[in-house]
Amino acid sequence: MTISFKDVDENFRRIAITGRMDILGTDAIAMQFTALSATANRRVVVDLSAVSFLASIGIRALISNAKALQQRGGRMVLLVGDNAAVAKTLESTGIDALLPMFTDAGEADKAALA
Amino acid sequence: MNTFIPHAIEELSIRADADEVRRVSIWLETVGLKHGVPAEHIGRLDLCLHEALANVIAHGGAVALPAPVCLHFDTHRNEGTGQAAVTISDAGMAFDPLVARSKVRPQTLAEAKPGGLGLSMMRSNADDLSYCNREGCNHLTFVVRWAESASGQVK
Repeated sequence: MTISFKDVDENFRRIAITGRMDILGTDAIAMQFTALSATANRRVVVDLSAVSFLASIGIRALISNAKALQQRGGRMVLLVGDNAAVAKTLESTGIDALLPMFTDAGEADKAALA
Repeated sequence: MNTFIPHAIEELSIRADADEVRRVSIWLETVGLKHGVPAEHIGRLDLCLHEALANVIAHGGAVALPAPVCLHFDTHRNEGTGQAAVTISDAGMAFDPLVARSKVRPQTLAEAKPGGLGLSMMRSNADDLSYCNREGCNHLTFVVRWAESASGQVK
């Protein structure tokens, strides 16, 4: 399980998560994910295209960090690329209606910055 | 009436501990592939099993944690349909996920409360769920099915 980030500019960050977002994997990245999402007014794209497994605890982390970011005036969007399994999980739980989800990186960036 | 003929049975006993989730996932993948369950459907079972085990660890109570959790896997094939089932048995507080209400879906991120998605994920990934409480233990079974051609290939 890894988490990495790249700051495109001071208000726009891309976060990439890889591996299994199960109990162990989500716990391993939880503090860093929260810290990376906590900046005021920041637009964030979370890239889940290399996540091999997304459990409810992983969705809980996405929701709580997205809410915290929104309360600070920021916005989070999700990039799933061609990861059909993760996209299906987000759709079946209705999370895609709360957090915009994109298969295309350019579209995700555009939505985050809108 | 279709009669399913037992094809394969595998079992594993684990601790009710988060450290076991990876071993469980590897076991499920190994036995699933060994008995010809398509990877997509192993993935569905993996999600159900993870959510069920997470519930036991989080909500099973003091009785559940020191007791072993037993996993039972079996597959059947009949008339062009494959089926795989996993039963998770634990000694925790009685809890029937079939009668538990799914979380009401929020309309906005501001309304969303983290958590409570495990049940709906099990319901959406399993083709069948069944539950019984027998001799003080919960027994939750989730089933996935898939179509196969006459040669056994997945359609």
